[in-house]
Amino acid sequence: MSDNRDDFIIALRYSLLKKGTKQKFSLFFLIILSISIITFDRLSIPPIKFVRLTINDLVYRVTILTATPGKISVYLGSKIKQHLYVYRNNIALKKELELFKKNEYEISFLKTENENLKLALGLEKIKITEEDTITIAKVMIDQRSPFLKSLLINKGTKHNIIKGMTVFSKNYLIGTIIETNYLSSRVLLITDLNSKIPAIIQNSDTNVILAGKGDKNDFNLEYLPENFSLIENKTIFTSGKDGFLKTGMPIAETYLDKNSKVKIRSLADPQQASIVHITKGQFKN
Amino acid sequence: MYTFRYLKEFSLKSLPIIILYFLAFNSFEGVKAVPNFALFSFNLQMIIVYFYILKYPEYLGIGHVFFAGIINDVVIGTPLGASSLSYLVMCLFTSYIRNVTLRSKMTAEWFTFIPAIFFSNCIFFIIINNFSNLSFYYIELLRNSFFTFLFFPIFYFVFKTHQMRFKEN
Repeated sequence: MSDNRDDFIIALRYSLLKKGTKQKFSLFFLIILSISIITFDRLSIPPIKFVRLTINDLVYRVTILTATPGKISVYLGSKIKQHLYVYRNNIALKKELELFKKNEYEISFLKTENENLKLALGLEKIKITEEDTITIAKVMIDQRSPFLKSLLINKGTKHNIIKGMTVFSKNYLIGTIIETNYLSSRVLLITDLNSKIPAIIQNSDTNVILAGKGDKNDFNLEYLPENFSLIENKTIFTSGKDGFLKTGMPIAETYLDKNSKVKIRSLADPQQASIVHITKGQFKN
Repeated sequence: MYTFRYLKEFSLKSLPIIILYFLAFNSFEGVKAVPNFALFSFNLQMIIVYFYILKYPEYLGIGHVFFAGIINDVVIGTPLGASSLSYLVMCLFTSYIRNVTLRSKMTAEWFTFIPAIFFSNCIFFIIINNFSNLSFYYIELLRNSFFTFLFFPIFYFVFKTHQMRFKEN
């Protein structure tokens, strides 16, 4: 028992007092120093307080420095994440851009093709302006007179309807405004005898006047050149030569009647129109 | 003339000291900084002190342990010298174990780490309770001590592997 206690004391004393290799201080000295520091720190004597504050400041400065790698790693991590996100986004956007470019080429091609076709038809470039606003009107009275084919609509000068405006039904030209009142207007139908529309025949540069004959299935083409033979299934468009109708509006088409004679019929059915669209320019859906 | 080789060798030999100071400056507590692993927080300083004082005391001076403790106190705001004394008590216990051990075994060293942590923490609590008005989450500290004990073999293996290169030289 006594030997054991002696051994313990010897080992403890050895541990406390023996300086190991490359050890500058003994454990005993450092423990005493620690206890002294704790005591002085507790007493808060002004010089000790000053030392403490100085140590604090020094350590805090170094802490900021040592914490920098951690902060940098966090910063780099977030930057890498951001970069990867931008990279992935960039790939997706590149794909999207390719698609848009492809579409643009397609649009450009269609535009050119459209312009060429218009050029082939001799049509002017269509300019849609703010004036091309559409007014929707209801047909009030359908005049079935054998001479004057006209409609009365429920929109007038109050609704900015003026003479010469074009009237459409189901996307096709059916007439022009010839009379305006405050709350109503009269539409002269293309089938009327008095209707004379400058027109052009599809796939030709022949300018003609499309005149009504009172029937939607029978039109007359005036000023046709000599030796010009009209063939079926040709669309007749407005030529815009009169100055108030826009060019390129389809109005009629040629067809073969029962007697195999080429005739012209209206694309629209003015007599069936109940709701019409009035515009200064070309009707667009 | 300090060559690169010399500097590298010096840095590697001083690695425990560097880590100890780095941890003291950053008040590192294991994986506490990682949100989902806060539960597994442990005290790496204690592992380093225990391992090096026990196995390779020539690589870690107790003066450094003392200063690291002082820095740790300043950073975490405990009374100056509390951590130092706590680490020094661990050094004392470890040194005693080293003196009375004839044949060292990893398992034996691992289990003697329990009383070492106990005495170290005991001193720390005594100082905190008597020399400051601070209060601690005892459960958290207990958990910290438990995981410090649990992770010891991992770091034992890591530090042992690191020290092997110097043995060969």
